[in-house]
Amino acid sequence: MLIFNGLGIIQFFLPEFILSIAGFLMLAMGIVTGSKKLYSTITMASLALSFIVELSFINASATVFNGSIIVNNFGTYFSLLFMISAMLISVPSMLNISRKPEIFYALLLFVTTGMLVAASSSNLIILFVSFEAVSTGTYVMSGFHKTDRTLEAATKYFFTGAVSTAIIVMGLSYYFEATGTFSLVSPVVTSAQAMLVAMILLVIGFGFKLAIFPMHQWAIDTYDGSENSVSAFLSTGSKLVAFMIMMRVFISGFIGESYDYYLIFTILAIVTMTYGNLSALSQTNLKRLLAYSSVAQAGYLILVFSATGYAQSTSISTTFVYDAIAAGMIYSLVYIFMKGGAFLAMNLSPNARVELSDISGLARKSPSLALAFSILLLSLAGIPFTGGFVSKLFLFLVLIEVKLWWLAVIAILNSAVSVFYYLRVILVMYRGKPSSELVVSRSASIPIIASAIVIVGLGIYFAIFQTLVGIAGGLFG
Amino acid sequence: MDISIIAWFVFLTPLIGFPVSYFAGHVRRNLSGIVASASIAISFALSFALYLGYTSPVESSISWFYSFSYGVYVDPLSISMALMVSFVSLMIHLFAIYYMGKDPNRHVYFAETSLFTAGMLGLVLSSNLLEFFLFWEIVGLCSYLLIGFWFFKPNAASAAKKAFIVTRVGDMAFIIGLAILYSTLVSYFPDPLNIQFLVTHAPEVMAAIGQTNLYIVLFLFLGGAIGKSSQFPLHVWIPDAMEGPTTVSALIHAATMVTAGIYLIARLYPLYYVSGTDTLYVLAIIGSFTALFAGLLGLVVNDIKRILAYSTISQLGYMMSALGFYSVIQGSAVGFAMYHLFVHAFFKAMLFMAAGAIILTLMDLRDVRKMGGLWKRMPVTVSIMFVGVLTLAAIFPTAGYFSKDSIISASYLYMTASGQWYQSLPWLFLTIGSFLTAAYTFRMFFLVALGKPRSDLASHAKDPPLISLAPLMVLAALSAGYGLFQADFLNYLGGSYSISVPLGIEYLPMTLALIAILITYLLYAGERWKHLDLHRSRAYRVLKNKFYMDRLYTNVIAERAILPLSSAFSSAEERYNAGVEKLGRKTLDFGTFLRKLQSGVLESYFTLIILSSAVVFILAIVLGVI
Repeated sequence: MLIFNGLGIIQFFLPEFILSIAGFLMLAMGIVTGSKKLYSTITMASLALSFIVELSFINASATVFNGSIIVNNFGTYFSLLFMISAMLISVPSMLNISRKPEIFYALLLFVTTGMLVAASSSNLIILFVSFEAVSTGTYVMSGFHKTDRTLEAATKYFFTGAVSTAIIVMGLSYYFEATGTFSLVSPVVTSAQAMLVAMILLVIGFGFKLAIFPMHQWAIDTYDGSENSVSAFLSTGSKLVAFMIMMRVFISGFIGESYDYYLIFTILAIVTMTYGNLSALSQTNLKRLLAYSSVAQAGYLILVFSATGYAQSTSISTTFVYDAIAAGMIYSLVYIFMKGGAFLAMNLSPNARVELSDISGLARKSPSLALAFSILLLSLAGIPFTGGFVSKLFLFLVLIEVKLWWLAVIAILNSAVSVFYYLRVILVMYRGKPSSELVVSRSASIPIIASAIVIVGLGIYFAIFQTLVGIAGGLFG
Repeated sequence: MDISIIAWFVFLTPLIGFPVSYFAGHVRRNLSGIVASASIAISFALSFALYLGYTSPVESSISWFYSFSYGVYVDPLSISMALMVSFVSLMIHLFAIYYMGKDPNRHVYFAETSLFTAGMLGLVLSSNLLEFFLFWEIVGLCSYLLIGFWFFKPNAASAAKKAFIVTRVGDMAFIIGLAILYSTLVSYFPDPLNIQFLVTHAPEVMAAIGQTNLYIVLFLFLGGAIGKSSQFPLHVWIPDAMEGPTTVSALIHAATMVTAGIYLIARLYPLYYVSGTDTLYVLAIIGSFTALFAGLLGLVVNDIKRILAYSTISQLGYMMSALGFYSVIQGSAVGFAMYHLFVHAFFKAMLFMAAGAIILTLMDLRDVRKMGGLWKRMPVTVSIMFVGVLTLAAIFPTAGYFSKDSIISASYLYMTASGQWYQSLPWLFLTIGSFLTAAYTFRMFFLVALGKPRSDLASHAKDPPLISLAPLMVLAALSAGYGLFQADFLNYLGGSYSISVPLGIEYLPMTLALIAILITYLLYAGERWKHLDLHRSRAYRVLKNKFYMDRLYTNVIAERAILPLSSAFSSAEERYNAGVEKLGRKTLDFGTFLRKLQSGVLESYFTLIILSSAVVFILAIVLGVI
């Protein structure tokens, strides 16, 4: 239901306006006050406000600016997800910022603005620019806390980001060469070779952000080196933007070359998830363990492209394509909470390098937090009655639906391996001797417990999948 | 109100009583027995309401999963069984308040017996065979827990284990039978394990799955019944189960749980009789052979509870064989078996409780040879016991006479109905069995009641408080007088009572019993038995060793066959485990290797990427796509 109809097409940019105005406002207020609480409240409030406005776009559909901005439920869904991921870190960020909070929070809002634009665009140029807005903001965020560790993380992130940008731009030019347009809506391919080059370059370029093998190495160092809430944001919001853009680009833009991208993504998915899971096995640095696990999760995520690519190329049925997209969408939703919550749980340790032993005996100190963190880890492992199980279930079901059952078997074996290291963390929490360094504060624990509750809720109430199948078609514009 | 709602609460009430009595016992130990008894009293009242309100078979069930449902099925058979179970259980609970009165863990005892009663009533009222099996396992579990209630006694612990394992053999057969029945029927009928459906559509079921399959299924079910009702050859567990509290023996190993096997067959009786005469003959021959076999063993046992245990096995044999005589008494076969089951429940529960009262006053002395002269010292208890042994020996006019002799008469008709020699075996076995029954019963009774006390404890025995014996008196009255209701009972279960056999045959069992009583009186009322030198005789040794059945199971089957097999399996599994561990270690090592690729040097990251993309491009060119 549109409530700001009087504004015409401007109304579709209201969330972006709200966020960027709030961001500039905070920058201006920075001259007067440096209160972390105030800025985090403003951030939260503006995000909530734009969230509500965004909710009013549900079931609206509009095409703005010659089709470069398309408002539909698919975009709205992802806009909501991005705002959720920003909200999730806005409170715990207070624990990680030592100075100039106004800049950090303003950056968070600007990045979110970029994400919202990306969510509702079907034009490669707009997607690229908004993606750059997201990237640039997050470079600064990851190096915001000027210590050697974070600076190293930010530097690596920035350089890889720069390289990936270069590759993306090159890919875009080949795309234009092949189709004569930047629009992703049913492109007409004139040069298949150029299209293939564009595809490879775009896979590499966007693969950086999604941290898929072999473009993943920066992610381990950056997730490990950045502040906890920044890592949480990088591995959820920022990663899902890349995922969402990739869904638009490959599923819609390369619809004619679907078999090729099916091949590329299938190989990448197998290598990525196997690599991530195996490397995490013997990891004792908890944050790096989560970083490797998020590499593995990226491997699961791109299985969506295997399914859609295979379904499109063998023309099994378009409904399976929608099922696959919906599986990716529900995975994104669950992923924000389980991965974001898990990274935020790192705040329980006062150290910059979070070792497994730091959270030892958490169950004795705070049973509810230990339970919540366990739920998040179980969800990452895909144990039933958690959202992680549901999202994996739908993803693997889709693979089986399109007759890629062997790929589903590989993915399931991988999940089985991953259970080992997730359970080890739980074991340490419940069996280990209480570590004296545990910091249990309210702003650290609320997001974790809230995420765990949502994860359990999603694990029980998964009828949402059918709704998502209904709106998956919005991907095509 | 729909009576099915009452039926739900018949078994839900003791189920609620289970935790309540446990926690009540935490507050005050004595409370738990009262709570448990109250819950069962309610359950009995509800069963009675069910009996009064019953008009026609009612089934109320809820879909469970796949093609399974669960619920209650109310018909005369289940109502009568529920009445008996709740009534006898109530009587035994009341006595247990006295009997277990000094045990420090009595709240656990009462919680477990409540759960047992709930399980038994649930089993009786089940509307689906899978649900039936679930309750069947619950009562099996309670039996295990209660036999081992005094788990600090090594005998009790190992007896509990033995009971559990031996009945498990039967349960295994039962569930395999269920699986076969389900998988063969599921494509034809929507709810294939529904009891009402199976009972009312027996011919269709047979047509759908074929006679051979039905044979297999019914024999497997019979296997379950043999395990639970302790028939030959799985009878070995009951005598050992006597290590539990005597009230447990009365409740579980005499009156209720061991009759579950009989009830299973009675419940599915239409399937048995449509399947043909062979299955029925198996019932008759297993039952009658068990009746004879256990009677023989009962002759040489000296433990008062074990004598009663063998008599239970033997009497269950009578019930089982009654179910085999369908060809001569038609549907009344169920009635005959159930009637004997009822009467047996009354007198055997009472006999066990009387034995319990004796054991309690004799400080756990159970050897009948050391008793003697108790009639004078415990007049009330032993008089009640006298009614019980008369009923067990089936002397007119006790109910036992009516229930047992009609089964023997039916077996006579069964013999004369066909000229085959093997059809005469049941009659032969059962008739000799009735002689043996009287013999071992009165041997026990005379040793206990008459003569002079043969131990210090026995000379100081005295009656328990009269109030605690009230349940026994009620049961004694029923045992003596229930024979009046035989015709009504059979009519209620839809049978008719009309058996006419020659007068000599009709009174033969009782005549034999009287002869047996006379012989035992001569031998055991005085001291004459002490001069019998039985130990030399070969027959005595064979009997004393229970026909070497226990030795066969433990020394031959378990030690020679199953243990080597199991160690072979376990060594194979060890090797497999080592393989799995090795795989795990290698995976971990590989992970560590991969982790080391993460050098932290930015240049090498880019090198990797450039190299990989180069590989992709070269591949694309080689394949000719670019």
